[in-house]
Amino acid sequence: MRIRIGRATLVATGLSAAIVLGSIASVFSQAQTYRAPRAPDGKPNLTGIWQVMNTANWDLQAHEARQGPIIALGAAFGIPPGPGVVEGNEIPYQPWAAAKKKENGDNWITRDPEVKCFMPGIPRATYMPYPLQIVQSSSTILMAYEFTSASRVIRMNSSAKSPAPAWMGWSIGRWEGETLVIEVTDQMEDTWLDRAGNFHSDALRVVERYTAIDPNTLDYEVAIEDPKVFTRPWKMRMLLYRHLEKNAQLMEYKCVPFAEELMYGHLRKKP
Amino acid sequence: MKYLLAVLVAVGGATASLVAQSAGTAVPGTAAANGWKVPRTPDGRPDLQGVWENNSVTPMTRPTQWKGKASLTDAEVQELRALVAKSVDQGGDAIFGSFIQLALNLKDTGKFNQVSYDPTTGNYNQFWMADREWDNRTSLIIDPPDGQFPPLTPEAEARRARGRGLGPTVEGSESGPRGRADGPEDRPLSERCISYGAPRTGTGYNSYAQIVQSPEAVVILQEMIHDARVVPMDGRPHLPQAVRQLHGDPRGRWDGDTLVVETTNFVNGFQGSTPNVKVIERYTRVSEAFINWELTVIDPETWTQPWTFMIRLKRTDGELYEYACHEGNYSMVGILAGARADEAKAAEAAAKKGSR
Repeated sequence: MRIRIGRATLVATGLSAAIVLGSIASVFSQAQTYRAPRAPDGKPNLTGIWQVMNTANWDLQAHEARQGPIIALGAAFGIPPGPGVVEGNEIPYQPWAAAKKKENGDNWITRDPEVKCFMPGIPRATYMPYPLQIVQSSSTILMAYEFTSASRVIRMNSSAKSPAPAWMGWSIGRWEGETLVIEVTDQMEDTWLDRAGNFHSDALRVVERYTAIDPNTLDYEVAIEDPKVFTRPWKMRMLLYRHLEKNAQLMEYKCVPFAEELMYGHLRKKP
Repeated sequence: MKYLLAVLVAVGGATASLVAQSAGTAVPGTAAANGWKVPRTPDGRPDLQGVWENNSVTPMTRPTQWKGKASLTDAEVQELRALVAKSVDQGGDAIFGSFIQLALNLKDTGKFNQVSYDPTTGNYNQFWMADREWDNRTSLIIDPPDGQFPPLTPEAEARRARGRGLGPTVEGSESGPRGRADGPEDRPLSERCISYGAPRTGTGYNSYAQIVQSPEAVVILQEMIHDARVVPMDGRPHLPQAVRQLHGDPRGRWDGDTLVVETTNFVNGFQGSTPNVKVIERYTRVSEAFINWELTVIDPETWTQPWTFMIRLKRTDGELYEYACHEGNYSMVGILAGARADEAKAAEAAAKKGSR
């Protein structure tokens, strides 16, 4: 038999043909060999409590350990190292934007919206160091994030348009086989992508892909597109792990009170 | 703002229906009457999903004018409606309080008192309020059957006598005296953009909630303040009693075609209770357009018996909007800076007076 791949033609016969076909199939479908249990409507069931185990929220790119911002907290609050989650480890900023990113990072504590307990936007909400919960129905998927009780509604197969920019953006979802694909637009330009100062404009378009690779792990791939800030689209990729402990639940992290002093302390009545 | 919250909470609000007065019984006159069948999710449960609103005019407690009267005739409803329509000024102050009480007072006295809850700065125009739902019920409270709160316990009476009102007993978790603005913690949780409460029963303004169902969990997403109440449906226990959350800790189960949500572990009280209150909600979809939402409030430290009020949630085709309260809370800066400016002005005036 002849097997055509691109411009090459392989010729194989009998048993060896089956072996060749099998290994080609497994190369192209390595992300789809696992088939998740089904939700009641027959789609892959991603319902559950999930969390990343990485340092993406500190810095999307590969980074060494370094001193944290609060001397008194010493080693308890140093910045941990991480191998990064960006494909190619490069974030392709336009020259003006690269300078702005550096400025953001140098002024992290005063500028990072996370410090003020603002909603983190997408994709950052996914890799904050707090669990998230997916509750999946047919026409709607809800994602609840423990950080500041943020949440978003993913409208499945919808053509509805966003009424206004939102901190958590506007999410439209669809299934591509075993993968949940979500397009996020209309995000407030004020959200950051991490604590290192990586940022975007109001033109940001995010495409997320969630695929179960085993019963307790999701492969999470994110395509970032923003022609006002980057020279080309780029991607990040990481894993989400299921919380397996009995009775795992999101608890309340309503952090506004933790940010009030730093935001309004200068307006407090002097004793 | 605290007064506003109290008014909103006290009034509740619901679209009434021709429904039985006692809590917990089957809902009559709906499915069987017209052959309507509740739509079901793929796993066979009643489908409660969608966006629901609470814009009813029905007051929490039955007005004195209606003592002994469980429901109004259609003619009586139309009369009140017409009275209000003639008198309400869309450019006037927003009516957060009881529409019904205003209408009844108008009927009795000839005066329609559309006055702001905040006479110093005024408030929203009535234009900002949602269109209201009118129906035949005379109170949201269905148990006790007289449509009033049950009697208070001696401890609760004592709390009220001490000037604590029936407010929350956890120190530091609610605002101080209404006018004080020494720091952000003096202001109510709503003004600080921390919480508008859960379950949120206020009517007529941002009352929207979206329900999403899966077999494992049901979510009631309150638009204010983008708060997802995630209700596990697997029978697990509550969090330990020592752990408290502003929105409590909900647990859910199905009772036939009714979704039951039991919430405990509150930081603050609910409807004037202590934090040890238990709130049991029952959501029953009774038609395409309505869910009957019964809330039973149990706090032996506050009331001598549990009591139940019922709100009719109405389906809407609208989407929930993101309520990014804290991210845009310029009011807090204004409130605090204004208080400091007032103090500076007063100090200056005192200094001038002293130097004469």
